Amino acid sequence: MTSPSAPVVTTGYPWPIETTRLANGLRVVVSADRSSPVVCVNLWYDVGSRHEPAGQTGFAHLFEHLMFEGSVHVRKTEHMRLVQGNGGSLNATTNPDRTNYFETLPAEHLELALWLEADRMGGLVPALTQETLDNQREVVKNERRQRYENVPYGDAWLRLLELLYPPGHPYHHATIGSMADLNAASLDTFKAFHQQYYAPNNCVLTVVGDTSKDEVFALAEKYFGALEPVADIPPAPSGHLTGPATTPVRETVTAAVPAPRIYLSHRTHPFGTAGYDAVTVLATILGNGRGSRLYQRLADGKRIAQPDYVGSYGVDLAHAAAPLIITATAKDGVDVAELEDGLSEVVASLVTEPVTEDELSRAKALLTTAWWRSMSTVGGRADTLGRYATQFGDPATVAYRLPQWLAVTADDVTEAAAYALKPESRVTLTYLPEDDK
Amino acid sequence: MTLVATRPGTGEARPYTFPEIRRVSVRGGTVIAAHLPGQLLASAMLMLDAGAAHEPDGREGTATVLAKSLEEGTATRDSAAYALALEGLGAELSPSVDWDSFRVGVSAPVPLLLDAVRLAAEAARTPRLDPADVLRVRDDEVTALRMDWAQPGPRADATLRSDLFGTGRFGRPLHGDPASVAAVTVADVLAFHRSWLLTPGVLLIAGDLDTLDLAALGEAAFDGTTATAPAAGGTLPWTTRDQRRVILVDRPGSVQSTLRLGHRAPERANPDYVPMTLAATVLGGAFTSRLNHLIREVKGYTYGIRGSYAMSRRFGRFEVAAGVQTAVTVPAIVDTLGEIDRTQVDGVTEDELAVARSWRAGQLSVEMQTPGAIVGALGTLVLHGLPDDYYPAVRREYLEATVDQVSAAAAAHLNPKGLTLVVEGDAAAFRDELIAAGVGEVVDAEI
Repeated sequence: MTSPSAPVVTTGYPWPIETTRLANGLRVVVSADRSSPVVCVNLWYDVGSRHEPAGQTGFAHLFEHLMFEGSVHVRKTEHMRLVQGNGGSLNATTNPDRTNYFETLPAEHLELALWLEADRMGGLVPALTQETLDNQREVVKNERRQRYENVPYGDAWLRLLELLYPPGHPYHHATIGSMADLNAASLDTFKAFHQQYYAPNNCVLTVVGDTSKDEVFALAEKYFGALEPVADIPPAPSGHLTGPATTPVRETVTAAVPAPRIYLSHRTHPFGTAGYDAVTVLATILGNGRGSRLYQRLADGKRIAQPDYVGSYGVDLAHAAAPLIITATAKDGVDVAELEDGLSEVVASLVTEPVTEDELSRAKALLTTAWWRSMSTVGGRADTLGRYATQFGDPATVAYRLPQWLAVTADDVTEAAAYALKPESRVTLTYLPEDDK
Repeated sequence: MTLVATRPGTGEARPYTFPEIRRVSVRGGTVIAAHLPGQLLASAMLMLDAGAAHEPDGREGTATVLAKSLEEGTATRDSAAYALALEGLGAELSPSVDWDSFRVGVSAPVPLLLDAVRLAAEAARTPRLDPADVLRVRDDEVTALRMDWAQPGPRADATLRSDLFGTGRFGRPLHGDPASVAAVTVADVLAFHRSWLLTPGVLLIAGDLDTLDLAALGEAAFDGTTATAPAAGGTLPWTTRDQRRVILVDRPGSVQSTLRLGHRAPERANPDYVPMTLAATVLGGAFTSRLNHLIREVKGYTYGIRGSYAMSRRFGRFEVAAGVQTAVTVPAIVDTLGEIDRTQVDGVTEDELAVARSWRAGQLSVEMQTPGAIVGALGTLVLHGLPDDYYPAVRREYLEATVDQVSAAAAAHLNPKGLTLVVEGDAAAFRDELIAAGVGEVVDAEI
C-alpha cells in the first residue's frame, strides 16, 4: 500500500478574518466564504455559570431560554418562527465560561438574523413577563430531568465538578443549576442580569459564510451601533487555583445503573495554554479510538472494560485548570476494584512508558481530522472564531491551535501526565448498581 | 429607543444547486461522487444491499454483530495493527446497519482518502472473523444493549414497533434485543457476511474531485467482489386501525414519562411524500410546530416534543416522541391527541405552511455543507432510486405545496383514532388517571 503523507499544516484557519470594533465596544468578526449560499451569525456573550453567585445557580442558562421568548419588536416564539420559517437552523448553549447564540440561514436572510439578535441584545427587558419566566422555568426543570436525573450515570458531571473544584470556585457548581435555586428565581433578578451582562461591550458578533466584510460591518453598525455600552461589568469570581489538588477525593454512588462505572478526573491546565495542548494530545493517546491505550489494554488486552464505554477527554474550559475525564464501564462479572486498578495502571503508564512515535502520530492524525471536521461548516467556524476573540482577544489566534497540537512532543505528553495525573490529585467517582448493595 | 423597529426584508437569493454528481463504473460496482471543490476533508461510504431485513428470525442483531466484528482483524493484519493503520490516517470506520442497507463509512483529509477506503474495503470484504472474536463481540453487544435498554426510550420503542409490525423481522428492534443477540452464532455471522457483504454495492464519495481518483477508489472498494446483488423485497402489507391501544412500560421511580405514539403509514415511494412531510412539520417538526408550542411553550410539560413520518423502502410509520414530567403524563397525552386530531380534521393554515415550506427548503442548503452530509444525501438517492436532480426538484415541490394538498395529506395519513400509545414511566403514578381519561384500553407491556 502506498502511504502518501498528510498535508503539511501551517495554519488551522486558511480563510480570511476581518475584525472591527463599534464605538459601543461590540467586536465584529467576519470570515467570508462563498462556497455555499449560507451564512452563520454567532454571538458569544462573556457570561456563564461561573458568574453566578450562591443561591442563583442555573440562572445564566435559564436566562438563555428567556432570550427566545420575545423582545421589544419580536413577539413570544417569533424568533424561532422567523429563523426556521426562513430556512434556518438555530440554537444557543450555556456553559461555565460563556453563553452563545447562533443561527445558520440561507444567505439572503443575513440582515434578518442581525436584526433579531440586536433586538434581544438591546430590547429584552421590556418584553420579559412573569408568565414567560414561569413557563421557561418549567421547561428547564424538564431539561434537568431529561438530561441528568432520568438517565443512568446522568449526574456524573454534576458530581465531578463539586469534587474537582472547591466550594466558592466558579466551576464548583454545574450550569444546569439546582431545582431549589431555579424555583426561587425572580423576574427582577433576570432583568438585572440582562442589564448587567447583555451589553455590546461584553459580546463578540461573528459572521461566517456567503457575505463580505463591508456588508457585515455596515449592517452591524445599522442594527447594533446605537446600543448603549454598560460600564464596569463585574468580572466573575477568580478561578485561580494553586495547582492540581493535593489530596485524592473519592465518591461512590449506588444507583439504578446497569453496570459498575468509574470516572477518574484531574484538573489540568486552562484551555488555550501549551500545557492544555499537551493534555489534548494525551487524552487522544490515552482514550480516543481503538488504537488508544485504554482500548488496547482494557477493552482488548485484559478485556475488563466494555468496548463501547471506555475513553478519555478534556473539557475545554478557559478560566481555570480544565478537567480531564477518564472513564470505563465494567464488563459482566468484572469486579469494580479490578477495573479501577486497570485504569490506574494505564494512566500511570503515561509517565513510566514513553509515548511511541506511532502513538503520537496516530493521535495527531485523529486531531487533524477532528479539527477540519469542526471547520467544515460555517457554524463551526463562527463559533470557533467567537471563542478565540472572546477568550484570547484576537480571533486570528484560531490559526495556531492545530499547528500547536501538531508540535506537541512525546516528552510534552509525559510531562503533562507527570504534572496533572498524580494519584494524589485524583477524583474517583464510582457508580455501583443497586443490586450490588 | 435605539433599536431598529422595522424587520428587514430579504436579500437576493442565489439559485439553489446540489453539487455536481459524477459516476464511474469499475469492477462490477459503481462510484457515485459529488464534487465539493476546496473541501479539505473527503468522505466515502460503501453501501451494500445488506440491511437488517435479511436477518433470520430469532437472530435479530446478526448484522450489527458483524458490523462490530469487522475491525477485529482482517485477512492480512490483526486488530491492533488495523486500528493503528486506519487511525494513523486520522480516519475511523463507521459501520452501520439500517433496515435497507449495510454501510461502511470513512472520512479523511483528501490526500489520505484512497488509503482509508482501501482499509475500509479490507475490513468489509476480508474480515478475519475468528470465532473467538465474534463470540466476544457478540457478548459485548449483549451487554451494550442492556446498557442502552436501561435508558428511557429503547423499551418503549421496542413495544411500539412490536405492536405496529407484529411478529417477524419488522416487529423486532432494528439492532435486536439482548435475547436475540445472545442467540446469534458464529455461523450466522459468517453466513451473513458471505451472503451479503461480497456484492460490489456502490461507493459514495463527497470531496474535491479535482484531486480524488474515482477509478482508483472504485477498484479499492470493489476488488475481489463476485456475488450479484439481490432484488429488493416489496413493500409490507398493512391496514389502517380503528381503535387505540395504550401500552404501559413500567419504570418505577422515573421522574419523566417517555411517550411514543404511532401508527403505520405508507413507505417512502408513495406520491404524498412531500405533503406528508410538510403536514408532519406543521404538527411536530419545527420548534414552533403545534405540539412543541402547546406542550412546551404554553404548558411547560416537556423539554421538547416532536412528530414525524419515518418512511423506509418497505414500510412507513408516523410517530410522536417526548419525555414529559411524571405528574403531567395524562394531561400531556390528552393535549397531544388533541393536536393530532385537530391537524387531521382541520388541516393546516397558510401561515403555518409558509414556515414549514421555507424551513424544509432552506434546510437543503443549511444542513448539507459537509462531505458527510453530502454522502448521506447520495445514499438517499441510491436507496430510493431517485434521479440526480432530485434535491432541486424536491425543493421546488416543498415551495409550491398548497394548503389544500398538505391538509389532504394530513387527513389521509394521520389516524388519531388508530394510534398506539406507549407510555414508559412510573406506572403507579398515573395508571388510574390514564384509565379514567378514557383515551383507549390500557394494557401492560410484555417486555
